Amino acid sequence: MKMDEISMSSLDNSKLEGVAQDILSDLVEDACLGLCFEVHRAVKQGYFFLEDTDQETMRDFEIVDQPGVDVFGQVYNQWKNKECVCPNCSRSIAASRFAPHLEKCLGMGRNSSRIANRRIVTGNNTNNKSESDQEDNDDVNDNDWSYGAEKKESKLTQEIQII
Amino acid sequence: MSKDSKMRATINQKLTEMGERERLKELLRSKLTECGWRDQLKAHCKDVIKEKGLEHVTVEDLVVEITPKGRVLVPDSVKKELLQRIRAFLAQHAT
Repeated sequence: MKMDEISMSSLDNSKLEGVAQDILSDLVEDACLGLCFEVHRAVKQGYFFLEDTDQETMRDFEIVDQPGVDVFGQVYNQWKNKECVCPNCSRSIAASRFAPHLEKCLGMGRNSSRIANRRIVTGNNTNNKSESDQEDNDDVNDNDWSYGAEKKESKLTQEIQII
Repeated sequence: MSKDSKMRATINQKLTEMGERERLKELLRSKLTECGWRDQLKAHCKDVIKEKGLEHVTVEDLVVEITPKGRVLVPDSVKKELLQRIRAFLAQHAT
């Protein structure tokens, strides 16, 4: 190796070493800033001094291990046997059946329109008041719908006859 | 001079693009946690917070107090290990 080649490579090396040191410096600074942000957030959110809570207060927050109760000590099947009054039909419905009932009662939800359509068709032919799912309100609606449907149907049959 | 800064820019770009910067960050973080650097600085943070008051302490306060101390407290062994990896990366990708 020639003299100038050696000095050239050592120059490069010292440059590269400088770059390496700078990269390290950046990384360390990054780590410091990261810590600062973490600490600051912990302070502002109120959990920075959490581990310094005194022993007595800590006992209040221990995990609860009793039957019928969740880890926070709350009763979790409290609403199993409660009943709610439907704001639409004023009937008393079991809590666990309340959401589906309300869906059908208000005519919202996926199947309500299907059921309503089905009733239009069957309510027309047989006009049966004994519905399988006991929603008395719908019978009133049925009459309106079936009247309209009746009219339509006769019109349709008339047309067919003409043709 | 600009050739230098160009080289540096290229190296930094490569470092990021190849995911090496992220890996180095993670390595540094875990090493610093292992050796207790984080806990040391956190304790120092507590002092700063108690001094400035919990409600009033700002990010700036922490950065000013913590960063210089943080730089100094990095153990030599950790510095050495990081530098080794950086040099290896440079040897492979800088020339």
